[in-house]
Amino acid sequence: MGKKIIIDPITRIEGHLRIEVEIENGRVKDAWTSGQMFRGIEMMLQGRDPRDAHHFVQRSCGVCTYIHALSSVRAVEDACKIEIPENARIIRNLLHGAQYQHDHIVHFYHLHALDWVDIVSGLSADPVKTAKLSENVSGRPNSSDYFREVQAKLSTFVNSGQLGPFNNAYWGHSAYKLSPEANLMASSHYLEAIKLQAKAARMHAIFGGKNPHPQSLVVGGVTCAGDLTPERIDEFTDIWKETKAFVDEVYIPDILAVASFYKDWTAIGGNNTTYLSYGDFPQQGINDDLLLPGGVLMGNLTPVPVDTERITEDVTRAWYEKGDAKHPFEGETNPIKGEVTYNTDDKYTWMKAPRYDGKSSEVGPLARNLVAYTSGQKEVKALVDHVLKTLGLGIDALFSTLGRTAARGIETVVVGNAMGEWIDTLKSNIASGDKKTYQPWEMPDKGRGFGLNDVPRGALGHWIDIEGGRIKNYQYVVPSTWNLGPSDGKNQKGPVENSLIGTPIADPKQPIEVLRTVHSYDPCIACAVHVIDPHTNETYKVRII
Amino acid sequence: MNNNITILGVGNTIYSDDGVGIRVVERLEKEYDFPDNVLVVDGGILGINLLGVISNAGRLIVVDTVLNHGRPGDIHRLEHDQIPTRILAKNSLHQVDLIEALTLCQALEHVPRTTVIGVEPRDLDTLSEELTPEIAAKVDELMEETLEELVRLGGSYTLKG
Repeated sequence: MGKKIIIDPITRIEGHLRIEVEIENGRVKDAWTSGQMFRGIEMMLQGRDPRDAHHFVQRSCGVCTYIHALSSVRAVEDACKIEIPENARIIRNLLHGAQYQHDHIVHFYHLHALDWVDIVSGLSADPVKTAKLSENVSGRPNSSDYFREVQAKLSTFVNSGQLGPFNNAYWGHSAYKLSPEANLMASSHYLEAIKLQAKAARMHAIFGGKNPHPQSLVVGGVTCAGDLTPERIDEFTDIWKETKAFVDEVYIPDILAVASFYKDWTAIGGNNTTYLSYGDFPQQGINDDLLLPGGVLMGNLTPVPVDTERITEDVTRAWYEKGDAKHPFEGETNPIKGEVTYNTDDKYTWMKAPRYDGKSSEVGPLARNLVAYTSGQKEVKALVDHVLKTLGLGIDALFSTLGRTAARGIETVVVGNAMGEWIDTLKSNIASGDKKTYQPWEMPDKGRGFGLNDVPRGALGHWIDIEGGRIKNYQYVVPSTWNLGPSDGKNQKGPVENSLIGTPIADPKQPIEVLRTVHSYDPCIACAVHVIDPHTNETYKVRII
Repeated sequence: MNNNITILGVGNTIYSDDGVGIRVVERLEKEYDFPDNVLVVDGGILGINLLGVISNAGRLIVVDTVLNHGRPGDIHRLEHDQIPTRILAKNSLHQVDLIEALTLCQALEHVPRTTVIGVEPRDLDTLSEELTPEIAAKVDELMEETLEELVRLGGSYTLKG
């Protein structure tokens, strides 16, 4: 038996994800991911008007508001056989695209970068050398005076007692490989990214009213026709341009710079499993000609089309009563009776284990990139090849923690470029007098449908069953459940569990290597976990804050 | 310093009293008109996505639940310096709360002077759109406190005609 370390919660903050790893001879021998709490919105939806579902689902998570609302309206539109107008499709794509730009930048700089960048080391950097470095590698070089200022600001944070935004226990860890100058340059981009983030978030407000909650989505289209003035569209375009420049000049060069110091991480954190992408950004019709194609890679590099009938959720290792693996339309939630005991040999989580064709499947940027690459999506293929060539790596390098992180950057570029084309089409439609954004429809008595969506964190699906014009059953299977779900009845581990096995750990007391891989999945814990208190049948809250 | 005043309600409307901040701003919007420099915002649980809203405010009034070891229904008023600053290391971007968003604003070189008007909740756990009766009974008072604070900061309002 190796030494066990438990990171509970992985963040040292009130959290709901527990990661347990067993270490033997300096490597992870086995791993378990456990969702410790629960979301019960699905039960709240039963009996309601399907048109209201998206108002509720968007309150389930503070970051994923828009994308849950989008899945929900797509599910109802599928059930009620509604075809939305072209302008509605474009505006939805633009808002979803804005979410990609925003979320991926924030993920890299404000969650993941600190796994690779030692901020404190940047304080001892030489500002002149840092300016030279930034000239060589960054598309947005800065002067030595600028870096001196950044150092002063960083030391204010660091000396404030709580390290300000940079509270991290692992500074000085031997796993950090960047030079002090590279650390300083990356830290300056952390600060720049906060400013950019505050702007990028406004893209949503432009077509969604002044409130930060997207309010323009409705079943049948969007309701922001009044916002489609040249001034509003220009405002959106300006922020898009600024964001895109940051991606091209800062984000991508930073990924390449960081990756060049950590090439060993192209052999760590991979996942010998199935990769699933629903695909997204329809360029025609409801679900046609997806910018990021859908597909499944079942252990080889030949993608097959997604068949949603093959999706099931297994509860063998989760705190639910025994039952067969079920399709989301038949999904049910029966917590075990009696005490819930965390036992990695038996049941250890509130998350169900989603499976595609019975297989544990990774979703998210890497899955999307691999499916796009192997489907011959030209832009993705060109960018992936460029990144691999720049770093002197082969395609195997993609199946790794660093591969996942690079994939996120690559699709930020691809989606960002497409947004420019969508803006142009929208403008020309409006100029030619086509301002239609909503398709009137009638509620059927009965209907079943689903809304698939490939969101920044991966494949998201909402399934709805309507009866008597009301919601009879509603289920969602979210990306973090695919990735962070547990083992199943056939003892197939979940993707994050698989990825952690084999990871070298320099210091079991400071397992930063575990965090690198878990963070590379961009977990959304609040969304991922369903829970009921089995004693009282009460639903408990996951506090996102 | 700009003279914009933002009234920001935060919380989750599907967890009973957690939605009280949102209920207050909803009522304010419904019953009052505000001049252009006053923005009333439903911030939900948007966390880090509120950075833009926060950093654009000259002055900020936050309406929220506050846990301060009091009795349910107790109303608290926290002035700028009484609001703790902290940022916690995190596993998910979905764990950024309002306090953290305010602290991150330091990097934007502008943290608006902030007042929190909060009420001690009874129930943050039950999945329900309804406030508990004792917290629902405090909504009027919270609205008054918020409007008084607005006037104190140089803002104004008119009752809808």
